[in-house]
Amino acid sequence: MRQGRILVIDDDPDITDAMSVILENKGYEVRIAHDSDQGRERLKEAKPDLIILDVMMRTSQEGFEFSREVKQDEQFKDIPILMLTGVKEKKGIDFKSAAGDKSWLPVDGFLDKPVKPNVLIEKVQDLLSSPKA
Amino acid sequence: MQSLLENTSLVSRAYWLVRLRWVAVGGLAVATFGASEFMGVTLPVGALYAVSVVVLVYNLALYGLLRYWTRGAEMPSQARTGGVLTFQISADLFILTTILHYSGGIENPFLFFFAFHMIIASILRSRHQSYMQATLAVVLFGGLVVLESIGGLSHCSLEGFAGHGLYRDSTYVFGMLFVFTVTLYLIVYMTTSISEQLRRHQEDLEKANAQLREKDKVKNEYVLRVNHDIKGHLAAVLSCLDVVNGEMLGPLNDGQKDFVGRAHRRTTTCLEFIGALLKLTRMKLTGRLEAEPFPLKKCVHNALALAQNRARDKSVTLSHQMDPGIDMIWGEGVLIEDTLVNLLLNAVKYTPPGGRVDLEVRYESDSVLIRVADTGIGVPESALPRLFEEFYRADNARAAERDGTGLGLAFARQVVERHGGRIWFENNPGGGSVFSFTLPAGPMSSSSAVQ
Repeated sequence: MRQGRILVIDDDPDITDAMSVILENKGYEVRIAHDSDQGRERLKEAKPDLIILDVMMRTSQEGFEFSREVKQDEQFKDIPILMLTGVKEKKGIDFKSAAGDKSWLPVDGFLDKPVKPNVLIEKVQDLLSSPKA
Repeated sequence: MQSLLENTSLVSRAYWLVRLRWVAVGGLAVATFGASEFMGVTLPVGALYAVSVVVLVYNLALYGLLRYWTRGAEMPSQARTGGVLTFQISADLFILTTILHYSGGIENPFLFFFAFHMIIASILRSRHQSYMQATLAVVLFGGLVVLESIGGLSHCSLEGFAGHGLYRDSTYVFGMLFVFTVTLYLIVYMTTSISEQLRRHQEDLEKANAQLREKDKVKNEYVLRVNHDIKGHLAAVLSCLDVVNGEMLGPLNDGQKDFVGRAHRRTTTCLEFIGALLKLTRMKLTGRLEAEPFPLKKCVHNALALAQNRARDKSVTLSHQMDPGIDMIWGEGVLIEDTLVNLLLNAVKYTPPGGRVDLEVRYESDSVLIRVADTGIGVPESALPRLFEEFYRADNARAAERDGTGLGLAFARQVVERHGGRIWFENNPGGGSVFSFTLPAGPMSSSSAVQ
């Protein structure tokens, strides 16, 4: 049963491993990347249905930049992105522009870190079932 | 060289001199009238009244000018304020000399009034300026008495008060002038040396204060950094525990489930604490509020939805009452919502099952009043002074609930005070607590914004 393929990008291997068990447990197929370069590679080879992206990787902007890059690529722009944030990062995000201007911060959902498994699964199901923009 | 006082105090002193001058003008008129009418002293009354009128007009003009410069919130520059003060003092020396000329010159004991101007100059202006004023006073007064003595200027004797002819006695005139000069310079010397010492002391204090602020900032940055790192690790720990606890890698026996569950709860508590500390520290580090109009109504509903789950689990009734007009207010919405959530969750947490929590939001003149009342354990009298302190938890709260950060109310106070509002505690008449806070409904004036 193929529920969908999810690419998880976070620089913390413990987080990505735990998350992949949680997602695999629900029947999703999971690919992991720990930085933008790996993320780009996995994106090309795996063609995921959803990307879960940590906002902070090596630099505080890496997640933002990666999401913008994906959404500008004709091939990948329809893949929904779920962004994981902390309070600090959230304060830096202008949510009005995030909602109104997709080119500025083109993500489809936010979740606060740490994410509870049931909340994560719910959001993932939600994003995968919603019609693509 | 700077003055002892800062610009705002200098401005208020400029007004102060104007006010004193009203009294002086009144004094001059009354003294002229009294001396001539009741004491029988011969005086050029007309000239003295004329001087009073001139000074009155001058003072009125000066007052108008000061008002013009200090209208609105803008202050005149330090240099301009200083200039006004110097001008006022110099002009007063001229005025006093003129008055003395029409009232006996060296025979008039009011010549001691020059001393006042020396003291004022020494405190309000620099050392250099003060010596210049002393020199001006000596030149003016010396010129007057010498000219009157040799007949270059007419002399108005104070018949009926002082022995006349004294002004022509050169030994007396020069003796008097010598003492006068020495006195003025000594006053300036003494006063400026004291005021300079005070000024240095003040500068040291300001420096020490700036250093303290800098150290506090470094401390906050340190706390932020450490907390952020700990939070990253804890988040990973929690995710790993979620996997085991959720039995995603296979079923656990009862003992395993129990202990993994405990580890999970403790990690969650620790993360909550770190999260609260991060929020508080971050707020302390960001200087200004990013205030804008935001929908308070929506914030209240979000907070209620969050607290409602917790209340239902605990069989606590959560109800609310909101002015229908409540909508957009001015402030930082995220912070206000956090504060509301804090207060509501607190109320639910310390209210036993079967109790109730009531939220009320209403307009009160130009602010919004938000009240959270509960029928919980309340706050003992002894805990009140420290209730809003960081890390403080009242004994009864500690006894009722082991876990708690002691940061929720400190955070709430920071948020509310930053918005120019007030937060306070009252006992609920029926038992329990009432926490209330106010927020300005419209844009804040610069004076009400804290820090």
